[in-house]
Amino acid sequence: MNRQIRRLGIVLVVLFIALFLNLNYLQVVDAKRLNDHPTNTRAVVRDFSRARGVIQTSDGTVLAESMPSSGQFENQRRYPEANLYSHITGYFSFNFGSDGVERTYNDALTGRTNNLSIDRFGDWLLERERTANVSLTVSNQVQHIAADALADRKGAVVALDPRNGAILAMADSPTYDPNPLASHDLPAATADWNKLNADSDKPLLSRAYRERYFPGSSFKVVTAATALDSGKVTVTEPVFPVLSELPLPQSSQPISNFGGETCGGPLPEALRVSCNTAFAQLGLDLGGPTLADGAGRFGFNQVPPIDLPFGASSLFPDAGTFARDKPALAKSAIGQQDVQATPLQMALVAAGIANNGTVMTPHVMKEIRDSEGEVLQTYDAQAWKEAVPADVARTTRDMMVEVVNSGTGTRAQLPDVQVAGKTGTAQTGRDTSHVWFIGFAPAEAPRVAIAVMLENQPNVSEATGGILAAPIAAEVLQAALAANP
Amino acid sequence: MRTDTAVRQSVVFRVRRNTELGLVILAAVLIVGAYILASLGSTASLPADIVPFLVIILGLIAAAHVATRRLAPGSDSILLPLAALLNGIGYVFIARLDNDLAALQALWTALGIGAFVGTLLLVRRARDLERFRYTFALIGIGLLLMPLLPVVGQNINGSRLWIRIAGATFQPGELAKIVLCVFFASYLVEKRELLSEALHRVGSVMVPNFKHFGPVVMMWAISLVIMTAERDLGSSLLFFALFISMLWIATGRGAYLAAGGLMFSAGALIAWNAFSHVQSRVDIWLDPWKDASGSGYQVVQALFAFAAGGFAGTNLAQGRPDLIPYVETDFIFAAIGEELGLLGTTAIITVFVLMVGTGLRIAMRSESPFEKLLAAGLTTILGVQSFVIIGGATRLIPLTGITLPFVSYGGSSLIANYVLLALLLRISHDQAERAQAQALAQDETRF
Repeated sequence: MNRQIRRLGIVLVVLFIALFLNLNYLQVVDAKRLNDHPTNTRAVVRDFSRARGVIQTSDGTVLAESMPSSGQFENQRRYPEANLYSHITGYFSFNFGSDGVERTYNDALTGRTNNLSIDRFGDWLLERERTANVSLTVSNQVQHIAADALADRKGAVVALDPRNGAILAMADSPTYDPNPLASHDLPAATADWNKLNADSDKPLLSRAYRERYFPGSSFKVVTAATALDSGKVTVTEPVFPVLSELPLPQSSQPISNFGGETCGGPLPEALRVSCNTAFAQLGLDLGGPTLADGAGRFGFNQVPPIDLPFGASSLFPDAGTFARDKPALAKSAIGQQDVQATPLQMALVAAGIANNGTVMTPHVMKEIRDSEGEVLQTYDAQAWKEAVPADVARTTRDMMVEVVNSGTGTRAQLPDVQVAGKTGTAQTGRDTSHVWFIGFAPAEAPRVAIAVMLENQPNVSEATGGILAAPIAAEVLQAALAANP
Repeated sequence: MRTDTAVRQSVVFRVRRNTELGLVILAAVLIVGAYILASLGSTASLPADIVPFLVIILGLIAAAHVATRRLAPGSDSILLPLAALLNGIGYVFIARLDNDLAALQALWTALGIGAFVGTLLLVRRARDLERFRYTFALIGIGLLLMPLLPVVGQNINGSRLWIRIAGATFQPGELAKIVLCVFFASYLVEKRELLSEALHRVGSVMVPNFKHFGPVVMMWAISLVIMTAERDLGSSLLFFALFISMLWIATGRGAYLAAGGLMFSAGALIAWNAFSHVQSRVDIWLDPWKDASGSGYQVVQALFAFAAGGFAGTNLAQGRPDLIPYVETDFIFAAIGEELGLLGTTAIITVFVLMVGTGLRIAMRSESPFEKLLAAGLTTILGVQSFVIIGGATRLIPLTGITLPFVSYGGSSLIANYVLLALLLRISHDQAERAQAQALAQDETRF
């Protein structure tokens, strides 16, 4: 019988070798294909289950945290501030991925960055990944005031420190609650997602950095600074004729001032009262290439390198288009026609003037700390754009001071602080316009730059931006100055 | 001289038991280490119940070791440590998957070790079993068919493999395998001369004589009943494979193997045509992706688990084997594959190969035909069963819901496998004792 038993042994060993080979195939050769298989939710489930670090404001308000949960997923993401920060923190959802800081700093929040994972031998042994906490530059106080100021009007407020690009507040309206999207009840999360997407008010869209609007007269800051930089224009020369409308070459349609008012004078005066005819003429004088180059140096036609995903670039037409279309050049110089900007971009324009002509890289991350509170990473401020030389920036600033002191932006004044700014009103319909205020304070040593934009407001006049947007700016500037000494 | 030999015998036996003790300690260290890692992985701190757990597991293993020292001191020294290792690793995974099941599995382990000691106590000589062959035949068939009875029989998950008595469910088929293996061994040893002659030549092929073919047909019928009435493909295959391979070992006639293979294929083909559950199992095996979120879900999730584990695994308690339905029983191997990787699965396969090799070595060394056949049969059960379930979980063969010996959750399975282990050790001990007696006789003739 031993012969048969030996053969039986051989057969069984062959069977086990087959198992071994098959396992090699499954776990090594074919593993990548299986791991990447579309029906394989394992990686997603693991990521979704994993504890994530806390996201908090610079003043310590918790914006996102993971709570232990029972069921399929081990941790539930919570957003205690609900709607207030959703366009900054984003959401962390099973079916719809993640957005905002949750997305940008995913590796840190899940502890997957290099300096986190091999920190401790024990952690390494267990491959346990320690989560890190992300502190934002955003101040809870300022964010609250900005959101309250917007109230239920559609629009956005972006406030940042012009010296380093730190975002102090970025309020959007309308907004959404990320909690239902992060729900473990996946059908409910899907229903909420569908509802948000179907909403005609587009609450999922960040107006602050993902949507472009006609900047209207607020763009005149770019035109004015570019003009000064070109050397063709000074604060005294030329003196623009006082007109109510400017005939345009190649067109029968002139450019007119709001309400048929007449205005003119040298550059500071034209900016102070936001004179369309003067700036249209200035645009024609400067020429397409100079103006397009100036807009580009402030960051137009590029996505601002903010540490939030899917930002929109602002648009200024290509210089070539103006060669055949002079009216377009005149209209672009006053922020109309094909000029479109995100509120973030316009805040960066103000910040560039405030920071002696240098636009700093905007960012929301202040620092990343591990669970023991040790700092792993701090955001190093860096320049993004050299928009204009310092002397041009100073001259532009002085002109913007006059806008607030005695021009269209008087409602942005603060009691003890000199504010500089520029209003904007971009007509979008017969009786509606996007209204803007961009500016900074204190004018002599700016610590806060701001852009306020309200979408499709009733009323159309050059004063609308000053009436509606400037007060919001004043309120937020005051809070931000207090929070950002 | 007699005393010298007695001393030598006790020395040999003691060396074996001390080897076993060393290996048992090694297994215990591995189990405890794995348990600590798994606990750290899921909770970041050692659980408070770690001490009672250690006491229970180490105590049970120690009890089994003491039992072999007392009751089968000459037996092989690696089988028990290997079984303890499988049992312990399985326990760690069950504890990691489900705390409630872990408590029960600890109880089943205790009952299993109890059955192990009880078998060693009750069966003092393996050859004693030979006398009760027809009693065993009746008990075996009774156990096999018991789930088909009304009232006690239970349908669980579409299979009728369970009986419920006094609130506890039990899978009598697990024990039936061993009881029938004992019967086959004694029956075939008695009839093997007859059965090996009961062939006639048709052309160049040897064909079994129909007159003596009755037992084969009967086993075939029983295995078909299991496949169809109890809906248990795995056990059906296991029984028939066991019987045919024992028949072949006993007679040395390849014709039985060929005929058995043909009959099983025919039966399987008929069953595949006639029964939807057989068809769906085969369909899932051929293409689990066709309905990856429905009928193929379990197999596909298991494949994902193996792939997620990769070479080194996600580490204990870091994977998501809980995504696989019935992971504690049919798919515990996939959990091991995910968290311990190819290294872990290879280790488990190696343990089974070592156990099978040891079992067959015991069979080959034994002079008694009955013990030889019984040891070979018991080893076949262990080998085929682990192959069938590992092959099913890795999609090498169609999936059949049987347990992975010593590793899977389940009382019936653990008890049956510990009984199997005890019988192998008993045969090993008998053989060692006889070898010593022979050496003694030689010594006496020399001096």
